[in-house]
Amino acid sequence: MLQAYIPVLLVVAFVAVNAMLMLGLSHVLSSYRLTPTKLAPYESGMPVLGDARERFSVKFYLVAMLFIVFDIETVFMLPWSAAFNQLTEMRGLLLIEMFVFVAILAIGYFYIWKRGALQWD
Amino acid sequence: MAASPSVAALQARFADAILRHEVSCGDTIVYVTPARVHEILAWLRDDAGQLFDYLTDITAVEYRDMERPLEVVWQLRSLSRKADLRLKVELDTAAPLVIDSVFDLWKGADWLEREVFDMFGVSFTGHPDLRRILMWETYSEGFPLRKDFPLRGHFSRAEQTRQALNANPEANYSLEELSIAEAYSELPADMKERLNQGERGGVK
Amino acid sequence: MGLTLPEGGAGTEVSAMSPNWVTTRLDSLSNWARSNSLWSMPFGTACCAIEFMASAASRFDIARFGMERMSFSPRQADVLICAGRLPFKLAPVIRKIWDQMPQPKWSISMGACASSGGIFDTYTMVQGIDTIIPVDVYVPGCPPRPEGLIYGIRLLQKKIQGESFLDADLRQEHLLGPDGLFLPARKIDEVSEPFGNSVHQTRSA
Repeated sequence: MLQAYIPVLLVVAFVAVNAMLMLGLSHVLSSYRLTPTKLAPYESGMPVLGDARERFSVKFYLVAMLFIVFDIETVFMLPWSAAFNQLTEMRGLLLIEMFVFVAILAIGYFYIWKRGALQWD
Repeated sequence: MAASPSVAALQARFADAILRHEVSCGDTIVYVTPARVHEILAWLRDDAGQLFDYLTDITAVEYRDMERPLEVVWQLRSLSRKADLRLKVELDTAAPLVIDSVFDLWKGADWLEREVFDMFGVSFTGHPDLRRILMWETYSEGFPLRKDFPLRGHFSRAEQTRQALNANPEANYSLEELSIAEAYSELPADMKERLNQGERGGVK
Repeated sequence: MGLTLPEGGAGTEVSAMSPNWVTTRLDSLSNWARSNSLWSMPFGTACCAIEFMASAASRFDIARFGMERMSFSPRQADVLICAGRLPFKLAPVIRKIWDQMPQPKWSISMGACASSGGIFDTYTMVQGIDTIIPVDVYVPGCPPRPEGLIYGIRLLQKKIQGESFLDADLRQEHLLGPDGLFLPARKIDEVSEPFGNSVHQTRSA
């Protein structure tokens, strides 16, 4: 059964070897003419000021995290809807189960809303 | 063409500070004494009958005739009354060229006065940050729009090229303009010194 | 530094390998690739930049000559096209951008102002960018028509096709000298001498 994957692995190996070969050969065969100005970061011809590693605002992290949480919630809804479709009895119970699930997450949503995590500025 | 009614109002209010006026191509030009120019401009901005709330331009004129003094010109506009007025002050070129800044009246005077300083060498007392704006900050050839400044500049082309190549194009930034406060440690020494001195004051 | 010649004069550098059929074939291949894929760093400052944009647009289309994409980062550019007049205030900027371009690199001075200062023989303008960076092709005009710029690019392509990797002097970085200049001071003054109407402009009022 695993034999079917051998061609895939061969392609992966070929790609990796090819890429390394190209990079390696060009590194070995080329001549480097490095000057201090050439190595400095490009700032439209201006002298470089400051560090490139700046502090990011935490709001980006918050948005990403909240997205993950509610995305997973949506993901859980999908197999539920497939099962709902197929199970013809206990439909009321299934529906209430999902509502409870959503309600629990809605409490969390209400909390972050009131705490101001959804404010961008 | 008749002079603007502001002339009569100015003469009534400031009597001897208003030296003369003329009308040229439909524009009224009023010559005033340098000592009271700030007071006059403040009155022109604030008085209910004048309301010149927009400072269009500040510039200077030097004539080829050596006998004529250097004029500093304020072009005013009243947006509500849709009226223009030009005020001029005559400065003797033999004496230091100093006049009051109107930065406290119109914030737009900031760069306008820096340009007049850069090109003519007129110092504006009370200006928060009088330094060169068109030429680079360490430009040492002089004041380009003066009549005794040759068109090609005082220095040789090689010297101008050398000074230009060695000028730091970012030497003009103050801490407020630099959003990268963490860059302080990487600044060149002369910039740090200037920022420590509060980045205020005139340039040689 | 810059345009100072090696002892013995130009072209007297002897490389370790003498040109033969293999080197000429390799040269031909690499020069064909380089000349037909010149990506420009457009250093457009003034009116010539408009003509440069027109050359890049559909009617004149320098993409058909390989200049497919303007690269606004010097790291990915082959040729620096200075299109427009260069004030002294901008001189350190173009010098730094030129230094930050990796080899192989060429430069085109487009227009009269970039080539010689043009009509601006004044205290503000660099009298020809060749006083600051090495220039390969000068395109005269004020501004040059797109056909003129395309002719200049084709000239550069022919120049590149005449290059050889055996030429040790060719891909050297010409940095500013210890006096802070690219050309010797005497040379800058010599090429910036006023001529024609400019001779009357050295006086002051």
